Amino acid sequence: MAEASQSNLRQFSDGIVANNPVLVQLLGMCPTLAVTNSVENALVMGAAVIFVLTMSNLITSTLRNLLKPHVRILIFTLTIATFVTIADLVLKAYVFEVSKKLGPFVPLIIVNCIIIARAEVVASRSGLGRSLADAFGCGIGFTIALCILGAIRELLGAGGITILRDLGWHWHIDPKTFEPHAWVIMIMPPGAFLTLGAVIGVVNHLRSRGAAKGGA
Amino acid sequence: MDFGALVGIFIGAVLINNFVLAQFLGICPFLGVSRKVDMAFGMGCAVTFVMTVSGVVTWLIVHGILAPVGEWLLGDKEALFFLKYVAFIMVIASMVQLVEMYLKKFFRSLYTAFGVFLPLITTNCAILGACLLIDMNEVYQQSLLSSAVFAFGGGLGFALAITIMAGIREHVRFSDVPKPLQGAGITLLTAGILALAFMGFAGIGK
Repeated sequence: MAEASQSNLRQFSDGIVANNPVLVQLLGMCPTLAVTNSVENALVMGAAVIFVLTMSNLITSTLRNLLKPHVRILIFTLTIATFVTIADLVLKAYVFEVSKKLGPFVPLIIVNCIIIARAEVVASRSGLGRSLADAFGCGIGFTIALCILGAIRELLGAGGITILRDLGWHWHIDPKTFEPHAWVIMIMPPGAFLTLGAVIGVVNHLRSRGAAKGGA
Repeated sequence: MDFGALVGIFIGAVLINNFVLAQFLGICPFLGVSRKVDMAFGMGCAVTFVMTVSGVVTWLIVHGILAPVGEWLLGDKEALFFLKYVAFIMVIASMVQLVEMYLKKFFRSLYTAFGVFLPLITTNCAILGACLLIDMNEVYQQSLLSSAVFAFGGGLGFALAITIMAGIREHVRFSDVPKPLQGAGITLLTAGILALAFMGFAGIGK
């Protein structure tokens, strides 16, 4: 029992650091680039992905003994599409402004490779506990990666971070001092590519240094 | 719908709101299949074709089936719209399958040229993205023709971006890239510069 919970913990933390879906495995690039112009968007997108990933891993893991190999991708896709519809309707009902900003990228979670990959690699082969641990790990890893990118882009492009403007959770450099130095390009499309490229470069550098230390 | 407006939609979809470089749709194949120009071009053609067909078919499903059936059964046009996403992904998956079978039977050489790219297109988010964008835009909701032009333009824009990218990457291979940036890093940075260049087209729209 203790061993099982240890391996579940391992599965969970792997998804966040060692096998981070975005920064290490390079999966789910489209939403990563598109929604990271602010931290708020990144958080909402991350929450939607955690929900869909958990539910799809739950269903897939429960059905894993019934799945026939040739229809499994179809079943995965339909399961995911169902939960994405639920997530989309919930977002529209409670955070309409953000949901409008995310535009087609909430429904596009259906074709997000992270979710299909986790269903195929983990959930269709292992028990409920491990699948759920994996879903949480990968979902949180995805959210953290998105937030890092969102924070870099929003700080450089807009000079501060705003989450839930109505509740007043925001922090900004005085616009008068910041405006002349703003890198507006960072919140526009090219900024997404440049930031992600640079962050992946830094991650690769850290990983190769870690590997060299571990080897020596 | 006059001809000028259609040309505007077409140029907007190909250059100004390029699917890859301005809307971030279809990034996975853009990074994955852009090592060689001929492969990239093949992928671009396959995507253009499937995108146009599925754009038209999903429009017909929403306005020809879901809306009237919802009105007939429940008295509300939008009553069945929660089925949209499931319907879209089914249409795209079966469309890709159909195209694959058709090409295999009648255009053998084209089929072998596309190779593994055809089945991969199902999970290309540019296709589903095009269907969703058509579904969200009020102009396209009114007219099937402009939806078709938009889908075709979007596909051509994807083909253009991925072919240019492959051309650049063929040259980058011979340059001395710092080790941590090799692979995905330098490709993304290149794409960023390409996106900067494409921002110049934004002026055409005004």
